[in-house]
Amino acid sequence: MDMKRSHYEDIRLFSSRVVFAWFLVFAGVLVSYPFAASWLGKNYYIYMANYMAINVIVAVGLNLLVGYAGQISLGHAGFFGIGAYGTVLLMTKLQVPFVLALPLAGLAAAGFGFLLGLPALRLEGPYLAVATLGFGLTVTQIIGRWDLFGGRQGLHAPPLALGPVTLAGDFNLYWLIVPTAVVMTMAARNITKTKVGRAFVAIRDSDVAAHTMGVNLTYYKTLAFAVSAFYTGVAGGLYAFALGFIEPQTFNLMLSILFLSMVVVGGLGSIFGSVVGAMLLSLLNLKLASVHTLPFLGPVLLQLSESWFTVSGLPNFQYIVYGLIMFLIIVFEPLGIFGFWIRTKIYWKSYPF
Amino acid sequence: MLWQIVIGGIAVGSAYALIALAMVIIYKTSEVLNFAQGDMACLSTYVTFMLLHGYGFPFWVSLPLTLLFAFVLGACCEFLFLRRAKDPTVLGLIIMTLSLEMILFGLLSWKWGSDQRELPFPITSYDTFTIGSFYVSRLEVLTFVVALVMMALLFLFFRYTKTGIAIKATQLNRDSARLMGIRTNRILMGTWGLSSVVGAVAALLIAPASTLDPYMMWDPLLKGFSSAVLGGMTSLPGAAAGGYIVGIVENLFGTYVSIEFKSAVAFAIIVLILCIKPSGLLARHYVKKV
Amino acid sequence: MKKMLLWTIVMALVIAVCAAGAVTAADAPGVSDTEIRIGQWAALTGPAAAWGAVARGAEAYFKMINDEGGIHGRMIKHLVFDDQYNPARTVAGIKELVEGPGVFAFVAGDCTACALAARDYLVEKKIIWMALGNAWSIKPDRHFFFIYPNYLDEAAILVKYAVETMGKKKIAFFYQNDDYGKGGLKGAQQQLEKYKLKLAAEVPVEPQDRDLKSHTMAIKNADPDVVILWVNPTSAVIMRKTAAAMKFAPLWMAPSTLADPALMNQITGGLWEGTIFSCLAELPDADIPLMKKYRAAFEKYVPKGERWGIMYMAGFGFAEPLVEALKKVGRDVTTDKVIAELDKMTDFKGIFGHITFRPEDRQGQKEVFIAEALKDGKSKRLSDWIKADR
Repeated sequence: MDMKRSHYEDIRLFSSRVVFAWFLVFAGVLVSYPFAASWLGKNYYIYMANYMAINVIVAVGLNLLVGYAGQISLGHAGFFGIGAYGTVLLMTKLQVPFVLALPLAGLAAAGFGFLLGLPALRLEGPYLAVATLGFGLTVTQIIGRWDLFGGRQGLHAPPLALGPVTLAGDFNLYWLIVPTAVVMTMAARNITKTKVGRAFVAIRDSDVAAHTMGVNLTYYKTLAFAVSAFYTGVAGGLYAFALGFIEPQTFNLMLSILFLSMVVVGGLGSIFGSVVGAMLLSLLNLKLASVHTLPFLGPVLLQLSESWFTVSGLPNFQYIVYGLIMFLIIVFEPLGIFGFWIRTKIYWKSYPF
Repeated sequence: MLWQIVIGGIAVGSAYALIALAMVIIYKTSEVLNFAQGDMACLSTYVTFMLLHGYGFPFWVSLPLTLLFAFVLGACCEFLFLRRAKDPTVLGLIIMTLSLEMILFGLLSWKWGSDQRELPFPITSYDTFTIGSFYVSRLEVLTFVVALVMMALLFLFFRYTKTGIAIKATQLNRDSARLMGIRTNRILMGTWGLSSVVGAVAALLIAPASTLDPYMMWDPLLKGFSSAVLGGMTSLPGAAAGGYIVGIVENLFGTYVSIEFKSAVAFAIIVLILCIKPSGLLARHYVKKV
Repeated sequence: MKKMLLWTIVMALVIAVCAAGAVTAADAPGVSDTEIRIGQWAALTGPAAAWGAVARGAEAYFKMINDEGGIHGRMIKHLVFDDQYNPARTVAGIKELVEGPGVFAFVAGDCTACALAARDYLVEKKIIWMALGNAWSIKPDRHFFFIYPNYLDEAAILVKYAVETMGKKKIAFFYQNDDYGKGGLKGAQQQLEKYKLKLAAEVPVEPQDRDLKSHTMAIKNADPDVVILWVNPTSAVIMRKTAAAMKFAPLWMAPSTLADPALMNQITGGLWEGTIFSCLAELPDADIPLMKKYRAAFEKYVPKGERWGIMYMAGFGFAEPLVEALKKVGRDVTTDKVIAELDKMTDFKGIFGHITFRPEDRQGQKEVFIAEALKDGKSKRLSDWIKADR
């Protein structure tokens, strides 16, 4: 099987030439995708890809915190909001160029992540969940009321200038968002293979044991929060431009729950899992917008609504779908899609037996 | 003026305290943060609505039926959802209750739509009398009394009944409890049912003062959450005290400091308290079970 | 790791194939020989789901038009999607409709934030939008037609009625802390300045708040004669119940979003009686032929569990002007022709007030009338249509 024989074999980015070749194919698909989509006149698919890529960044960052370091966060929508508002405000109020504003906003989010990491030193499990929940809600409430943040009227994203070029439209943004997502995903993968990543895993498995082994808990726990918040902040900044407009109600508790479920559905402690989980749930999130028009299922549901439920409440069916997906994953495949993939792989590798 | 606000705070606080109690009951035995508490309570309230409005039952018939329904609902949630998770982590359990919340929410807003409705309750929230120069509504008094009675009953239940002691034993060590002949699975189902009943009572008292709609319990649930955390998730008196503190502080803040940030206060309180005293005000320090 | 990458690639390919498979040849933007496609985004779920009734109302209206034979031989196809009041979903849904089946026009579409996010795309694609939002917060464009009276105008008319007709001086304003509420607040302030008056109290509320005691106290302490409730039905109900518990009984006024006396009477448990409210459309139980026809259509097309309320009815109203223009344009439908026809529309009267569009002024309806809620959800009209003179 995938037996690793040396440390260097483990930390290599591509474990063999075949993998590298596949990576090139994948890169080729990513590069040709927007051209294919715009050739067909379907900007929608590029927008969808951008949306997915943004969620991939968040899910990867959140997985570093939840899956690797074993902490819980129900407040990532807060970091997402800080990143989005930070980028836009730095650009409009302080005239910072985008190239600087995005990482700065990410760092601002990381700063808040560090602050939220401090109570995490003393809190465990459910208490941490509640503290992060409180943080996320407070951020939304504050940006919703402060006039600096545009209040409920929201803020428009300024024109996005990268040096002399101004990026506008989904097609151009794709070249900003998707490479960022790819780079950040690979960076996260590398983090997990370094000392930092191993410290995270040690803390997740047992923080007492990790502490005894000489892992600095204060440093690594706050670092996990900061790194995760940085990822989410950057994603938030990109989101502001993908949408062109931000307002506080977007960054609500439901969004935090959606982020968390991407990680769980994809697979805890797996970068690959969070990529797939994020893509799957973003797709569902966009595609379940009109339940009654789904093929086959739609008419059945309509019939059911008329006899048992109400037709006006039918769109709420999407919540049941989300709920069931999360439920089934936890019950049957606690490692998410990644776990399913591992099992399939093992099954086929030892096929006849 | 000040006392009028404090009285108002106590009235809301009673409702928060009930929700906090409901959460603590579950947390004590199964160490689960129950995010579905609000929607379980909301579903029970809709059942009351259906019994009163749809089938025309009198209130004093509907109430016991609703409480019975709430008990069965809670027990079913435990049996059908929580127990299905094999060897779950804390995160797994949180995701589990979140999924339960979404399913229940989806079902109830599919069934009843999102229109606001009026719950026909025998006491209206604006039926008031005055004590000195303060206005007190009968519904508020009822909420306060019900909350106190509930607390007393729960206290007596946990202290003096066999089942109550069995619940405590299950909480302390599930395996030993089972070895001692306690049917821990039934105990878990029972506590979920009990918690669901307490939550349903809270929702029944909240609904007449606002409207009955699927989002009715979102705000009270989060406030109840902060109350429970404030008092320490494992302490029943702590949860009750937390409810009153949140209710009063929130109203005082809204009146004297800033009405705009009023609803942010509860959440800021959670974060602050958890930073200063991580296990809440009245609970023993949280010790991880290894 | 090796297989992981492979799997990623497979996923990407699958998605790419699905994407390509879903693509069908696009014909003329939303108009074919047999149908005209009209899109709509709506919050069918989520905390703002009460607005979803607008979409269902429009649907019933289009069904009625289709059963009457459509518009010059073309049937209307109404494409609705649920955006949950979430701009990201609105933008995705709009792009999907426009680039998928193709859409000729959008009707209504709630949520100012969603509209702001969608605006540039609609402009780019030159799609007519009969907007529900209003020109106060959304930058106008050649393709946008705002039907709904400006929030500022409506608040100004309410204040004018309170001051001039009813002779009240102390007015408090209770508003939702968003674009809608702030628009109303601004209109009320501007109108009061004319009389050299100021609002006695301005109290904001978050739509999800369920405990409004301190809000009520803040208003009560200012001791106003009139309180204007610029909020959603739930907040209005909680405020009314809390105020009643504090024996606080000023004259209550409400804007057209609460102009549903039957609903408000029911969910306040009868407290709504005596409220003065403005209406942008005829009352749901009005005794005029058009309303009777719509109510009949409602009975005919709508499944059980639906309620004939102001939101539902507004769905009919928002679609009326577009259908009128399409009827006048005739068989040869193009975007430019329909825009030209709409721009000629003068004092068009459906169930809303009189609607007039001009190329330089796209705020269609500028008038509301005032009514009073009576016992048992009945209501009485107090004034004729009033225009604002802000």
